[in-house]
Amino acid sequence: MNVLLDNLDLYGRGFLGTIQLFLVAAIGSLLFGTILAGMRVSPVPVLRAFGTLYVNTIRNTPLTLVLFFFAFAYPRLEIADISFFWRACIGLILYTSAFVCEVVRSGINTVPVGQAEASRALGFTFGQTMSQVVFPQAVRSVVPPLTNVQIALLKNTTIAAGFSVVEAGGIYAALSERGYNVLVGLLWVALFFVILVVPLTLLQRNLDRKWSTAR
Amino acid sequence: MTDTGTPMIRMVTVDKHFGELHVLKDINLEVDAGQVVVVLGPSGSGKSTLCRTINRLEPIDSGVIAIDGEELPAEGKALAGLRADVGMVFQSFNLFAHKTILENVMLGPLKVRKQNKGEAEKNAMRLLERVGIANQKDKYPAQLSGGQQQRVAIARALAMSPKVMLFDEPTSALDPEMVQEVLDVMTSLAKEGMTMLVVTHEMGFARRAANRVIFMADGEIVEDAAPDAFFTNPTSDRAKDFLGKILTH
Repeated sequence: MNVLLDNLDLYGRGFLGTIQLFLVAAIGSLLFGTILAGMRVSPVPVLRAFGTLYVNTIRNTPLTLVLFFFAFAYPRLEIADISFFWRACIGLILYTSAFVCEVVRSGINTVPVGQAEASRALGFTFGQTMSQVVFPQAVRSVVPPLTNVQIALLKNTTIAAGFSVVEAGGIYAALSERGYNVLVGLLWVALFFVILVVPLTLLQRNLDRKWSTAR
Repeated sequence: MTDTGTPMIRMVTVDKHFGELHVLKDINLEVDAGQVVVVLGPSGSGKSTLCRTINRLEPIDSGVIAIDGEELPAEGKALAGLRADVGMVFQSFNLFAHKTILENVMLGPLKVRKQNKGEAEKNAMRLLERVGIANQKDKYPAQLSGGQQQRVAIARALAMSPKVMLFDEPTSALDPEMVQEVLDVMTSLAKEGMTMLVVTHEMGFARRAANRVIFMADGEIVEDAAPDAFFTNPTSDRAKDFLGKILTH
């Protein structure tokens, strides 16, 4: 218990960092992943090709590499000076979007083609067909796997500790410097992660219930 | 109906293949404003494809299709604008499953015609009244019977104030006792002077409501005649054979 109580500042800062990273990356990856999914089903061949290439490249790259790129290679490109925190966010967003894209795309495939045809016949543009008819139904049918991806993202944030973003994954290192029992410290970290996932699970259950009645 | 001389639907030397299969062979067809044309034919004769090419849900290989004198543009904003003027009713209804009945009818006018909400709702309610489902307006499509869903689909198409209505086998997916309620709506539309192209197997409707019957076989228009003439005195062997099969069973 002392490990936790003596180091509350450490845990507090760590998990605050984790939550911030997660919220930014979750929103960013949901948006960008959905746009990617739209590209992959669009009638424009160039967009389709880009979407496919993106997903197959990023999905097959280890997250560590993506983050290392932004930590060490990006500054050498001398494009714009961005803080470690935001570079970590960008890396997580780019990586997670590939997975969000594939989940949303599988949801798109559950929406009957006839409904897209009906909306085209009404005079909807491709964008309107997607935003009004296809995406709302696609997302509803993939809430559980989409939650999975976001839970994975939450845990992936710990990798950002590898390049000095303050977050929960780095707590153990600081603990051992201060001379505390690292094993016990890590158990607390694990417990906090479980607690962080609970709201996501509840959100999933709520959305599932709400949308299954409205169909 | 004012006859401007321009046919509402004009198809000139239209050809289409699905891979090896030649589904539409040199189709020439004109439908005048206010005309009701019923397309008959055995399955696989290309009649559904014909219907779907008219608003370019199926692109064609060659030829020209024009709606009210305006040639169909390639995919894009201009095509969307033209489709808005062509109502379409599908065999499988294709209502938006996540929207209520009222929202289904309002969505097109709101998003495509940019009507305000009050206007769109008033118009939608008038149309739902007309097809007899106003009391179901807050339900979702899955909660309605097939016949009711198809009547909503007709109301949804009418909400765009289309110049012409296409019906692609509108009663083929319905239980027999629900066919009539849909045909009644279509018959009243025809009486009001709506230009309609109807792909169907309902011979009664063809006799009662059509100005013209088109008989297709193997991707070609084989006969084009008034209903009475077609049913009592078909000229081609294909049509005689077809009518023999459906009228004697």
